[in-house]
Amino acid sequence: MILVAYVLCAVAALVLVAISRTHRQMNMAAIGLGLLFGAITGYILLCVQVPVDTFMVGNGYFFIDHLGLFEVIVATVIFTLAAVYARGYVENLLISGELETGSLKLFYAAWCLLELVIVLAFYSDNLALFWIFAEMTTIISAMLVAILSAKENIDAALKYIFVASVTMLFAFVGLIFLFEIARSTLGTGTLNWTVLIKHASAFPPGMMIAAFTLIFIGFAAKSGIFPFHTWLPEAHAKAPSAVSAVLSGVLLNVGIYGIIRVFAIVHQTPAFTTVTPLILLFGVLSIAIAAISMLPEKNLKKLIAFSSIENMGILLIGLAVATPLAIFWVIFHIMAHAFTKASLFFSTGILHRQYRSHLSADAPDDIHDVFRFQPLAAWGIILGGLAIIGMPPFMVFFSKFFILLSLGSLSLWVLALVLVLIFIATAAIGYFVITTFTRVTPPGEPVDLVAYQTPLSMKAPIVILLALILILGILFPAGGCTFIGQIVTELGF
Amino acid sequence: MTDSVFFDGIIKILFVCVIITAAYIITTKNLITLVRVYALQSLTLVCIALALYWYEGAAILLAIALITLVFKVIVIPYFITTVQEKIRIKRDIEFHFLSPTSSLLLSLGLMLLVYITLSRIFQDTLAKGSIGTPLFFGAVIGISLVLMGMMVTFSRKKAITKVLGYLSMENGVLLFGLFATELPFIIEFLIIIDLVILILLTTILTVGIDSTLEEYHNRLHRFYLWEEQEEAP
Repeated sequence: MILVAYVLCAVAALVLVAISRTHRQMNMAAIGLGLLFGAITGYILLCVQVPVDTFMVGNGYFFIDHLGLFEVIVATVIFTLAAVYARGYVENLLISGELETGSLKLFYAAWCLLELVIVLAFYSDNLALFWIFAEMTTIISAMLVAILSAKENIDAALKYIFVASVTMLFAFVGLIFLFEIARSTLGTGTLNWTVLIKHASAFPPGMMIAAFTLIFIGFAAKSGIFPFHTWLPEAHAKAPSAVSAVLSGVLLNVGIYGIIRVFAIVHQTPAFTTVTPLILLFGVLSIAIAAISMLPEKNLKKLIAFSSIENMGILLIGLAVATPLAIFWVIFHIMAHAFTKASLFFSTGILHRQYRSHLSADAPDDIHDVFRFQPLAAWGIILGGLAIIGMPPFMVFFSKFFILLSLGSLSLWVLALVLVLIFIATAAIGYFVITTFTRVTPPGEPVDLVAYQTPLSMKAPIVILLALILILGILFPAGGCTFIGQIVTELGF
Repeated sequence: MTDSVFFDGIIKILFVCVIITAAYIITTKNLITLVRVYALQSLTLVCIALALYWYEGAAILLAIALITLVFKVIVIPYFITTVQEKIRIKRDIEFHFLSPTSSLLLSLGLMLLVYITLSRIFQDTLAKGSIGTPLFFGAVIGISLVLMGMMVTFSRKKAITKVLGYLSMENGVLLFGLFATELPFIIEFLIIIDLVILILLTTILTVGIDSTLEEYHNRLHRFYLWEEQEEAP
């Protein structure tokens, strides 16, 4: 019955958004929803015996296991902080006229709905149900991208919808395959993950490869894997920064989550050996295309968006290695990447408010005197950048290090190639930061820029996230380790 | 026996209809015809579902036929036609990468490819005889329809044509689902969700923000041929 609590909270938040008149009130509803979701998730984490599969008596549409709970925790943290961030950010969008007051209700309604749909997606046992929710997240988040009154946003949103929906149809064909496999081996067709994973070892490998490939195409597009990554930089760069953080930190995880679930089934069958080179190949290609696109990139948001593609590639590589150790760090990397990337997008949003308001959207960022105007955002980018490239005390370092280490046991040549590519990506971020952040107007010359008074609500999420990735990097609680360990066992690795 | 032969014949005729409509969707430039052909294609699917129901007797097929009839034959085409009338585009003559002829040839190639791949995958099942030949052809045509729809989505420029390509893909998935396996209830549910999604999507487009549409408006503005109409969102 816990899911009903989620739904009720979301409905209450939607009603509040509908009746509230000011931006403040709507924002409070969104923040409140995030906190409530956090409270419910905390309750499940502490007081409920996971896995749970008795929500709706007699059918297995929903269940909660450790992986789903883990993803929901990550999503809830990011949604709550992004809602806090939106308080200042969206207000400034309204002032500068980039967001019309009329669209405000739609924005927050879509926000609350997206939060609910994502939670339901992560708690779905039935894969077809998960598919539907994943498809709905595409539509709702595309609305959030398109909400700004600019033509490029609509273009980006349309591209997002078409690429993601078209490929998701392939995933659905794959699910039909999976259903047929289950029907021919078990007698009754089912798409319930818990049933499938139990009987997976009996599935015929040939059909399994076809099913996995089709499903992989769909969810790969959802998480921005090459060659379906084309929508990602556009959508992430054009969306309001609060939305970009959610897109990158939560929505990409939806795709990876789907891949992990189906891969866990394939892992039980002999088809596994055919499938892993495929995953590895697309992982490496994603990193390659991201690294090469990052190098000449002049737009900070796009640079960070491409970095998301790179990290999705790393996740795929970890999956392809498929040892329990690698899977452990894949799960860890999902969280590390989500938190780090959200903080980076938050910092970018501040710079965006400061420098971009009078420029066209596709022009390179005209960032100068950054330490004078926005010292916190500048440090946010520098520290976040260090974190995302994998500097030691931060979380990403550990996951990247161990994923690459386990890749080394698979093939040293691939490891060398990936290291070079990651180095290029790192260099791209470093180059960008060094060239743009050192642009200073010489003293004495007039600066035609008024410092944007960054409200506290925009600063706090950055500080909180940076502290989080630092603390979790230095002392990751033992409970967390056993928790992730349980995920790995449940996935059957 | 006669029943089964008759059923085979009917199904084959309907398959040919599906292929003809798909070819039409790929090549036509007239948007109004496009919507009508789409409605026709959906109607053919309804007929196929009914034929299957008559042959197999599963009540779920009847439900699918009904839902398809209501939404895909009546509501969505009507909705899209209304939208088109509002924004007054009649033709989509811009083909991105492919001319109509080459896309037809390409789709022929795609169908052959799908046939070969699927016959490999279903080899065991075919040999065991649990999937009959018409059912297998249904799966092949379903997947081909998906690929042809994808071709339309990626080779046309106007968003509305892309939407129709997507709809046609979705028809392909439905066809494949009808033939490849016994459908669970969830697919029905999915169809409705998908339709809702599409209606949402087209509404976003209706507000008049399609990129090519905007150029069109600007052009008309310049010559004072168009007066701005405020549409209620």
